Amino acid sequence: MTSTLDQVGLQHYLAVGAIMFAIGLIGFISRRNLILMFLCTELMFQGVVINLVAFGGFVGFFAGLAFTIFVVVLAGAVASLAVGLIVLLFRHKATLDADAWRELRG
Amino acid sequence: MSVLAAASEVAWTAGSPLRGFVIVLLCALAAIGTVWALPGRRDPGWRVFGGTLLLVAGGILAALLTRWALASSGQKPGLSYVYFWVFAAVALAGSVRVITHPKPVYSALYFVLTTVATAGLFLLMWAEFMAAALVLIYAGAIVVTYVFVIMLAAEASGSDGGSGASAGLPDHDACARAPRLAPIVGFLTLGLLLFLIFERPPAALSKNPWGTASDGIATGHTQQLGVFLFRYHFVNIQLAGLLLTLAMIGAIMIARKRIVQSESSSRQVALAESPYDVEIPVVLGPPPKIEDNPHTIPVVGTMNPRQKAYPEN
Amino acid sequence: MSELWTVQHSYLIPLLPLIGAAIAGFFGARWLRGGSHWPIWLGVGASAVLSIVLLLQTVALLGQGSHAGTDPAHPPLGAANPSVSAPVKLFTWIAAGDPSKAGTNQYFVADAAFFFDPLTVTMLCVVCGIGFLICVFAAGYMRGEEGYWRFFAYLGLFIFMMCCLVMGDNLIMLYLGWEGVGLCSYLLIGYYYQKPSARDAAKKAFLVNRIGDFGFGVGIMLAFAAFGTVSYFGADGYGGTNGLLEAAAHPETLSEFQRQVLWWLPFLLMLGAFGKSAQFPLYVWLPDAMEGPTPVSALIHAATMVTAGVYMIARCGTLFVGNDAALMTVAFIGSFTALLAASIALRQFDLKKVFAYSTISQLGFMFVGVGVLAPVAGVFHLVTHAFFKALLFLSSGVVMHAMLGHLDMRQMSGLKAVLPKTRWLMLIGCLALAGVVPFAGFWSKDEIVAAAWHASPLLGAVMLLTALLTAYYTFRLYFRVFEGPRVVPDTPHPDHHGSHEHGDSSGGAGSGHGGHHSHEPAIMILPLVFLAIGSVIAGVVLWQGHRLGHFLGHSPSFVTAGELATATFNPKAADEHHLVNPLGFGLHDTRPAELQQAEQRSHYVFMLLSTVIALAGIAVAYTLHLRDRPKADRLALRLSGIARAIENKYWVDELYQASIVEPLRRLGQAFYAMDRFVVDGLVWLAGFIPQLGGFILKLTTQRGYLQGYALSMVLGVAVILFVVFL
Repeated sequence: MTSTLDQVGLQHYLAVGAIMFAIGLIGFISRRNLILMFLCTELMFQGVVINLVAFGGFVGFFAGLAFTIFVVVLAGAVASLAVGLIVLLFRHKATLDADAWRELRG
Repeated sequence: MSVLAAASEVAWTAGSPLRGFVIVLLCALAAIGTVWALPGRRDPGWRVFGGTLLLVAGGILAALLTRWALASSGQKPGLSYVYFWVFAAVALAGSVRVITHPKPVYSALYFVLTTVATAGLFLLMWAEFMAAALVLIYAGAIVVTYVFVIMLAAEASGSDGGSGASAGLPDHDACARAPRLAPIVGFLTLGLLLFLIFERPPAALSKNPWGTASDGIATGHTQQLGVFLFRYHFVNIQLAGLLLTLAMIGAIMIARKRIVQSESSSRQVALAESPYDVEIPVVLGPPPKIEDNPHTIPVVGTMNPRQKAYPEN
Repeated sequence: MSELWTVQHSYLIPLLPLIGAAIAGFFGARWLRGGSHWPIWLGVGASAVLSIVLLLQTVALLGQGSHAGTDPAHPPLGAANPSVSAPVKLFTWIAAGDPSKAGTNQYFVADAAFFFDPLTVTMLCVVCGIGFLICVFAAGYMRGEEGYWRFFAYLGLFIFMMCCLVMGDNLIMLYLGWEGVGLCSYLLIGYYYQKPSARDAAKKAFLVNRIGDFGFGVGIMLAFAAFGTVSYFGADGYGGTNGLLEAAAHPETLSEFQRQVLWWLPFLLMLGAFGKSAQFPLYVWLPDAMEGPTPVSALIHAATMVTAGVYMIARCGTLFVGNDAALMTVAFIGSFTALLAASIALRQFDLKKVFAYSTISQLGFMFVGVGVLAPVAGVFHLVTHAFFKALLFLSSGVVMHAMLGHLDMRQMSGLKAVLPKTRWLMLIGCLALAGVVPFAGFWSKDEIVAAAWHASPLLGAVMLLTALLTAYYTFRLYFRVFEGPRVVPDTPHPDHHGSHEHGDSSGGAGSGHGGHHSHEPAIMILPLVFLAIGSVIAGVVLWQGHRLGHFLGHSPSFVTAGELATATFNPKAADEHHLVNPLGFGLHDTRPAELQQAEQRSHYVFMLLSTVIALAGIAVAYTLHLRDRPKADRLALRLSGIARAIENKYWVDELYQASIVEPLRRLGQAFYAMDRFVVDGLVWLAGFIPQLGGFILKLTTQRGYLQGYALSMVLGVAVILFVVFL
């Protein structure tokens, strides 16, 4: 069935990964809820993971997939620590607002 | 179909599906849409309008990419191509909702949706193990944890949390900060990335843009992936496991720290200046003491007499 | 010569004083205290013994050589002058460049190596022998001074550096010693650093020497650039052609560039010699250097360091003798300095100042000696001068010690009753300096005067005039201080240092006097006796039968220089009276026998003449300063213009101050202002702008919002993406 476009180009996947990364970025910058900020980091991770899997698949090497696994592991570790930190911060000020933590202001 | 056929007849002279100015226009459109779509103290109609703009931008992008794919391969779209766009659309729309929905719980659920759609994309690339892992880890583990935290950290709702979906929410959920600058910077970065992907593709990419996912390896063979991992990345796998263990221990240690709030009455709650015309409560005074000796921190549910339950506060 | 055990262990000669200096320097302040002189005594004494053994062995070796005809190791070059020398390489000190191009200026190598020949041995005996005597004296003289250990550490370091200077195999070693003794001189002149005048004198000595050393340094670089080596005779010793002096000895094989360099080289080296040996116009530092303790004046500023310039020219004579312009410059500068300094000494009242100018004058004599193709005479005078000038300085040190710091000869008189021993010692020194037969100075001065006359009658006349002045000012001092009615200053001089009167001896060897104070402790008199013996006999012993000349004539430096001089000047000689005198280089005299005899006769005439002149000077001094002292004052009043000019040292210091120091100070001030306002302003601005930026950013962007930081980070990433990929 060569007459149908059965496969999608690598650049399509890269574009989707990039867009997802950018959306996560915007969310991270603009949302003020600590939990949501970390959710947005996961979104950015996911964009990167799409990238890696696409490269792994299209360039034809398992390293892309292996790397994906490590990224996912890292994301999990980050998530667990982040949740712990959020809990601690919440206990301090009884709010999830990131702007409540402004001790570093100049 | 006639539109598509007509599009395929257009000679696509350059290899580039997206010219620079097209990228700039699309990013600008999407940025404006995002500015309006982000949670804020606007009329809900604006947010719908912003979402519509985002949809339009995404649609134009999809149409352009499709036209380019059809023109350069000269073939009709197959089923997997359609699947790709469906999954991509769901994933991207879900991620937009993650950042635009005022309620954190809904954001988390949209994140699950995004994850599932992404898993679908992985399946299209014959990476079924990654798809499963993604759903398990993200949708199953991480998001559930977040949702738990969201539920636990129930906050007092703001008095004037806005209208519509954001009504009754605390201010920091109802209002995004830097709602104009953030989309501009984000879409600036995205524009650069897209420009890199489409206008300045790496040599390997332009050589074989239509190399298929199944050409190089049978990517989907989880067994082969496992063999690869344990043959070439054996230590790394162990290290990853160690990292997870350490993260778990660390998270427990962090979360077990007990805040001694004995003189909470002496610490005033001041109202800091805020750029959003609302008042942010900021606790002033000496920082609270942190009791982090693990042997003195009481643990709930133990029979050890030296350990007491958390005091209610 | 290299088979001698003293040569094989020659590293001990500089090393022992250095070890002594290290011990005195590191342990003196806390533990040795009053005994700090012991390591120096032992170290320098051992070096002195080694040097003298080396001298005796070398003399014995030469005796064997002349009996056997030739030295088997070193075949003769001159007819009867087998050169005796030995290079001793310790290690490669500096090596730079491409080793495959050794011998060219692409590869620089300076070995820490010694070169032994009769000249080195002679100098070593002077440095270590007289140095040891002065160290012994210093223990008595400096007893109870603050920083006693420091003084002796410097002395040891000085002896080490001086040994490096005279033993070095190459110009870099010479330069090391040269700068090292300069440093020690600086440290010791400024020994009483609480005294502003001492500090100024130390700085002056250092800076004036820098001018000379600059020329010397440029000369060394130029020598390397042209000849590709800085070693006198190469690493393999005398006999090849790979040394600097050996290359210069064969001018016919040199390239045009090398010949050019060879012409300029003596002038540059000369500049260094003039600075170190205090010749006009760089002599101004030496009189001020008398701010240092008297043993330092004796050791450094009379006997050893200041003669380094003479040694250098004698050692590198080969570079000089091919260039009559350079030789003439050396001779005339030397004679001019001798006359100038002697005339200044006429009206000085400070004992040490008189001897300082006398030293400058006598150094001028030595330069005349090396300048008129008689380096043997120059070195001869160097040796005898070291004896009697050290004697004179140390004697005046005894006087100063006894007179509680007073040195002004107007305030003392008739000290022969107070200091009977010193009086005799001083008399011997004065007779030697004045050039009275048979004291040491007579023989060496006479050699120089004769050689100068041989070269140019004008030069000889100037030398004779200077000899007259020398005799006069020497005995002016003697008659003023030791003869006549007894006048002793009873209050200590304000600058008087130390606590000699305190009988609580800190363990010095001369502490046997207990509570009562002796003006002439044995520890100070004993070294002087040795120096006095030397001042009496050194001249005649070394002169008799050209003993020193024949000894030095076995030095490769003298052999090459003598041969080159003969080859250069003899073809140009108008008649046989103008032939180069090989005896000036200690070489075998090959000139016609009747010429030699005629010269011998004229030499005796000169001896008679200079004796007469010396006695005349003494007689004038006797008339004016002992028999009828008011007459001297009347004379000075009558010649008040001249007297004032002399008293003010011809305003040379003032001239230098006005013409060099002040313009430089102005320039420095201008640069300082430039630095202060322009450069510092730029630096301040460079610091202020980020500060200002930081302040503004602090108030505007750093508001403490977590995501603000993320925003700027992303912006940075975008910029990097843009710059790198687009």
